[in-house]
Amino acid sequence: MVQEHVSQREGSSGGLFLGAYGISKTYSDGTQALKRVDLEIRHGEIVGLLGENGAGKTTLTKILSGLLPPTEGRVESPRGSVRFANPREAMKFGIGMVHQHFALVGPFTATENVALSHERPFTPIRLGKTRERLEALMAESGLHVPLDVPIEKLAVGEQQRVEILKVMSRDVDLLILDEPTSVLTPLEVDELFDLLRRLRAQDKSIILITHKLKEVQSITDRIVVLRHGELVGDVRTAEATTERLARLMVGQALDSTADAVELRDEELPIRRGREDAGATGEVVLHVQNLVSRGNTGEIAVDGITFDVHAGEIFGIAGVEGNGQSELVECLTGLRVPTEGEATIKGTDILGKDPREIYRLGVAHIPEDRWEVGLVLPFTLAENAILGIHRRKQFRRAHLPIIQWSNVRKHVEELMERFEIQAAGTNSPAKSLSGGNQQKLIVGRELAKDPAVIVASQPTRGLDVASAKYIRDLLVDMRNRQRAVLLVSADLDEVLARCDRVAIMYEGKFMTVCRPADLDRETVGMLMGGVTSKEVCVEQP
Amino acid sequence: MSNRELSATTVKSAAKKALLGLSPAVESLVAAVVGLILGAIIMWISGFDPLAAYAALLKGGFASTYALATAGARAAPLLLTGLTFAICVRAGMFNIGAEGQLYMGALAAVTVAYFVLPPALHVIVGILFGMAAGALWSLIPVLLRVTRGVNEVISTIMFNWISHFLAFYLVARVLVDPLVSSRTIRVPITARFPILIRGTDLSYGIFAAVAFAIVVYILLWHTATGYEVRAAGFNPRAARYGGIKSKRTMVLAFVLGGMGAGLAGATMSMGTPPSYAVLGGLSQIANLGFNGMAVAMVGRNHPIGMLFSALLFGGLAAGARQMQMTAGVPTDMVRIVQGIIVIAMAVPELTRMFRIFRLRWPRILGRRAES
Repeated sequence: MVQEHVSQREGSSGGLFLGAYGISKTYSDGTQALKRVDLEIRHGEIVGLLGENGAGKTTLTKILSGLLPPTEGRVESPRGSVRFANPREAMKFGIGMVHQHFALVGPFTATENVALSHERPFTPIRLGKTRERLEALMAESGLHVPLDVPIEKLAVGEQQRVEILKVMSRDVDLLILDEPTSVLTPLEVDELFDLLRRLRAQDKSIILITHKLKEVQSITDRIVVLRHGELVGDVRTAEATTERLARLMVGQALDSTADAVELRDEELPIRRGREDAGATGEVVLHVQNLVSRGNTGEIAVDGITFDVHAGEIFGIAGVEGNGQSELVECLTGLRVPTEGEATIKGTDILGKDPREIYRLGVAHIPEDRWEVGLVLPFTLAENAILGIHRRKQFRRAHLPIIQWSNVRKHVEELMERFEIQAAGTNSPAKSLSGGNQQKLIVGRELAKDPAVIVASQPTRGLDVASAKYIRDLLVDMRNRQRAVLLVSADLDEVLARCDRVAIMYEGKFMTVCRPADLDRETVGMLMGGVTSKEVCVEQP
Repeated sequence: MSNRELSATTVKSAAKKALLGLSPAVESLVAAVVGLILGAIIMWISGFDPLAAYAALLKGGFASTYALATAGARAAPLLLTGLTFAICVRAGMFNIGAEGQLYMGALAAVTVAYFVLPPALHVIVGILFGMAAGALWSLIPVLLRVTRGVNEVISTIMFNWISHFLAFYLVARVLVDPLVSSRTIRVPITARFPILIRGTDLSYGIFAAVAFAIVVYILLWHTATGYEVRAAGFNPRAARYGGIKSKRTMVLAFVLGGMGAGLAGATMSMGTPPSYAVLGGLSQIANLGFNGMAVAMVGRNHPIGMLFSALLFGGLAAGARQMQMTAGVPTDMVRIVQGIIVIAMAVPELTRMFRIFRLRWPRILGRRAES
């Protein structure tokens, strides 16, 4: 793998603050999140950490901030080798992290929240002193928040500033921000960046985790790019072009991971199958100008229009958190959009109950299999009828009683047809491996014989064999003239399996076209919010 | 070092398996023995003879027809109020209101004294009155929960106090017996539960209680509606994805639970000799709702398990007098020992419940910074 390194570091940044060398991390389930990554942080510089989902950005910063121990490698400072057993130790050393999801107590004020974060057992909380300290910090950094208003009454941007203040009140020298702009309005982003520049002027170091190319170019001094757990680039921002960054982030071609090899092998027969199938069928799912808000009230889906035909897989690619989840929820009855229309075979589905939508022939493979797709303490049999539990086939004749023997028969068929490995139909779903849990969900949904399949991140976190198996099932459904909507952050998956692809960024489709018309550099730029010069034209 | 770590984790997981993988019956038995031993230590430290005390407990609670009948009579209302709590736990809520719902059921059943009906019908009307009163009384807290988000723990506790003073007022002023001012009017003979074993308190009320437990079991585990209640109880988001309306299942669970507590109240006022009335000070019905929660936890919030735990509680209550008389253990000490046994037996289910609710509550309170 090509590594692009900064030839010589000079300019505004100062001496070394922290160096991490040869960092590897293998999780207990065997996933290798990081492979021998080197990273040096200097005083007074803003480093952008760029990469797709699952590239290892969060894992790396969690290791630096003491949340995770590395499997291999060492962390060193000019003062010698360091090892953090927990975030408190990292904090003492001067490293603080602001997470994507804030750890603030809603009904408490900013002062109370900060005081709470300093609390130790059996020491009194001194609100007055905390307040003085915060006021001094605010004057020094130019970062202002209302101190006496309950957190839940503040805007998200203000909450984030409280979180940053909370971390800074510990005298940190290195501030790590995990996707800080994903919840902010453009104006708030500008304010945040002004603040970061002021902090840099005070010789603080900042690591900014992001996937947005424009942002990383506008604020950072240096950009470190991770892909599949490996460091693939460490470049000076001034020398980095958008194209180069996009290429580094998504890779030049399908690369050497096992999954990608599997996909490359599969690529040809599928494309051929596509041609054999001829033209796609009629429009099954029609979405027009859909607008929806997210959980925090922000516009998450911003005027999206598309059709999915029978016999095609329509893919939505993009970095997670760009409105894909909200879009899927709107189409499956889990969220009510603010505007627009969506129909299945001409029947309006917006604002309808999940059950009514299922009745129109929709199957939904949700992105969160533990929280949404399954009731984990329920048995295999109980989970296999979720959503279809009122069907006559599972009922005793003339009685409103569930005939569990029929359910078990159904599950045994599913287990055989979809290769689900489990101890028995009565073992709890939580005892299954992730791959088998997902096969159970996919099996349950596909056994409904649906007209439309909405699959959201269907292979995320799965082993190679299970992932391939599930992709094959979706292709099989396509070949049997079903309409498939595949939402995935896995670029290889979308490019290899879909007939048409949309790239989603901040609630909008950047483009809709055939995968063959897209090169990876363009995709990388579109995913990072940069409109390419030759955007391909929407195809029927 | 990695070897040692490995073996340490295997030992740890093996121990965990041994403790948690037990069958429910064995687990309860182990917990009971632990409770008995702890109780014995306390009695021994305080200078009483644990063996004699336990022998007396066994004799008074379980070892004769009279003892068993008394235990059964005590068990019936506890089984019902326990079910009130258990149904709502299965639906993902804490219903602390069985106590008040039981008062309302008991008083509603007393009102059958104001009209005349043929024997069997009179009993059925009394039962329906009690169940309806309990259901209505529990309807308000759950409606507050689903429409306004009011936490059901708070509202049911408040409703207990309202019903407490309301019941005092009704007993003393409205339903009072004109001849005996210390209790309500008596339920007429046509509306009383017949006594099952002569010379004991055991009435046909026990059949009502067991029947209700069986109905609850079938409803929750063998109907689509019960499936929905349990699914929403474990995971509201998955339930919604499965097309289940969790507001509906919550209301249903509360109404069903209220019916159980109301029925418990009816069996008390219609089936407790010699008075067949609600006494001033609510002495014979006070705390039945709260004790039912312990019955539910010892019985793992499962109707079948609760048949046994209710009988155990009935036996402990019935044996207390014997313990006091023959072993000379004072009442307070008896209560302490009983409390220890109950706590020991409730611990396994309590830990399970908290694990489930801990999973649920972050969702209610909003997500924390993890992942």
